[in-house]
Amino acid sequence: MSVETTTVSVPEGRPALLLAEYETPGACMKAAEKLRDAGFTKFDTHTPFPIHGMDAAMGMGDSKLGWIVLVMGITGLMTGIALITYANGIDYPIIVGGKPAISIPAYVPVCFELTILLSAFGAVFGMFGLNQLPRHHHPVFESDRFKAATDDKFFVSVEYADPKFDADRTPELIASTHPNHIEIIEDTES
Amino acid sequence: MSAASTTDKTDYRTTGTGWANAWKIAAGVGALGLAGAGAGFAADAQRFSFSYLFAFFVFLTISIGATFFVLLQHLTNAGWSVTVRRTAEFFMSALPIFALLFLPIAANLDHLLPWWNADHGAHHAPAAAGEHGDAHAPVVPETPHGDTAHPAPEHGGHGQHVAGHRMSDDQIEHSLHAEVMASKAWYLSKGFFAVRAVIYFLFWTFLALKLFRNSTLQDSTRDLKLTASSQAMAPAATFGLALTTTFAVFDWMMSLLPNWYSTIFGVQLFSTTMVAILSVLVLVSYAMRASGVSGSAITTEHFHDLGKLLFGFNVFWAYISFSQFFLIWYASIPEETVFFHLRWSNGPWKTISLAILFLHFVVPFALLLSRNTKRYAGQKVLAFAAGLLLTMHVVEMYWEVLPNYAAQRGIGPHTAESLAPHWMDLACLLGVGGVYLAAVFYRMSQHPVVPVGDPRFARSKRFQNA
Repeated sequence: MSVETTTVSVPEGRPALLLAEYETPGACMKAAEKLRDAGFTKFDTHTPFPIHGMDAAMGMGDSKLGWIVLVMGITGLMTGIALITYANGIDYPIIVGGKPAISIPAYVPVCFELTILLSAFGAVFGMFGLNQLPRHHHPVFESDRFKAATDDKFFVSVEYADPKFDADRTPELIASTHPNHIEIIEDTES
Repeated sequence: MSAASTTDKTDYRTTGTGWANAWKIAAGVGALGLAGAGAGFAADAQRFSFSYLFAFFVFLTISIGATFFVLLQHLTNAGWSVTVRRTAEFFMSALPIFALLFLPIAANLDHLLPWWNADHGAHHAPAAAGEHGDAHAPVVPETPHGDTAHPAPEHGGHGQHVAGHRMSDDQIEHSLHAEVMASKAWYLSKGFFAVRAVIYFLFWTFLALKLFRNSTLQDSTRDLKLTASSQAMAPAATFGLALTTTFAVFDWMMSLLPNWYSTIFGVQLFSTTMVAILSVLVLVSYAMRASGVSGSAITTEHFHDLGKLLFGFNVFWAYISFSQFFLIWYASIPEETVFFHLRWSNGPWKTISLAILFLHFVVPFALLLSRNTKRYAGQKVLAFAAGLLLTMHVVEMYWEVLPNYAAQRGIGPHTAESLAPHWMDLACLLGVGGVYLAAVFYRMSQHPVVPVGDPRFARSKRFQNA
């Protein structure tokens, strides 16, 4: 296997990566499947557009985001119920339009809005959290070739931190998936 | 990826399966049901009229919903839904038959619509019966207020002193209703009503047949122009269908209670049509997949999306239904509260109202919320939720129509007799449903169950939710 390999150094202490460039989405997906089958978990794909089936190829399970949204939504619902019960029923009960101070239909808009609001917060900030965002820098940006990830090239990156990572065997594994190019982005000082 | 389509050898036709003969069974059930309904008509024409109208709406809403669904796909140039669109097209294609099924209603309007035989439309407001018609003081359509005794509509509602004597509360209320009815008289008139009904059916017939022909003709010709034709008519047709549906339910359902106002009523029924057809699509797709007739054309991905739409439109239905209730509840204006007086007073209809709240919204919401129930375990939970929603659709139509029967006979909503299920309800349901489904299944036996000629067909089979 002779694939052109270059090495880019990063400052000490930054995580190191192995970055492979592919010509087609299919080749990129096959590489992801191979890494998945080899038991890798800390790897990612970078493509100019979403590729159907990539989640399965990378062995990703269902997102946990739904559970975060559910918990936040129920919290919002309960907050709405507590708010209206306290404000209308306990703190300052006023009879409006002949309705009882605590009347269920009047709860609905407030509970609905708070459920939606907290669910939306849960969805947005939960997504940030699960994706470890915001993140101002990532080692892939050390590579000049990586700029093509937003144009016409498909990339797979494997973190050195992956328990399965082996400095000799992993580049061989990647080379067997026919990339255009391999870049090793590592801390050359150590 | 193209290997999948070559190994898929089925021709997507129902030949040799149970589907091919389903229309005969439906026709048989329909004939029996109509015979029963006919016997019921001979026995009690008014009760028959209400039972029949209920059954008519159960299936009309499904057919209109199917037309909305098909239009929606053309409006958005949807590729994902191509393989399930044909099922909706079958249910749409039988829409013209409702023009025939409407005839028993047209012949019995005097039993259904309190304003139909009112001499001025303004002097009778019998449906106000529900307003104060409880067990103790039922007000029957033929109210004891003599027509000569109460003031002319143009004076009603203003001064309480008319002709030198103080009006009773009943007289004031009656004159208010008279004024409301006078203001609606131009719309609720026999001639205009008939013209509107003809327009609805002509438009629906044109729409259903044109869209169905465009799609089925493409099975053999593969002509791209047919897709373009359906897409070109979709925007205007959607407006037209929205307006005709709204006014049709104003005419045939809302005017059962002619002094009642609810501007959101058309939207409420629209949301009902979408929930009904999406439930039907899930169930029929489920059965087609189980019987193998749809081959590999309908996948988990399609069920997932149908489930998302069903969930979304059911939440929309709940939102609109609650909006209607909420504004009426807050404002407490008699012309508006009469509708919920009949359905939310302590009595048997309140139980039905609560059942609708929980079984049409709360339980299906919980069942359909998770992505897993729409994708995994063979979509059993999704199919169950769709079955529940379809059942509750029938209950909801019953809830819309039948309380007016008790009200028009002066039976107050607090009494147990206000909810009196009748064997004619079932006979009419089987009769109308049998005829409609016979037409649907007959179409199904004549065409492939998926639009094989659609340019996006292969893409739809491979479609994946990201």
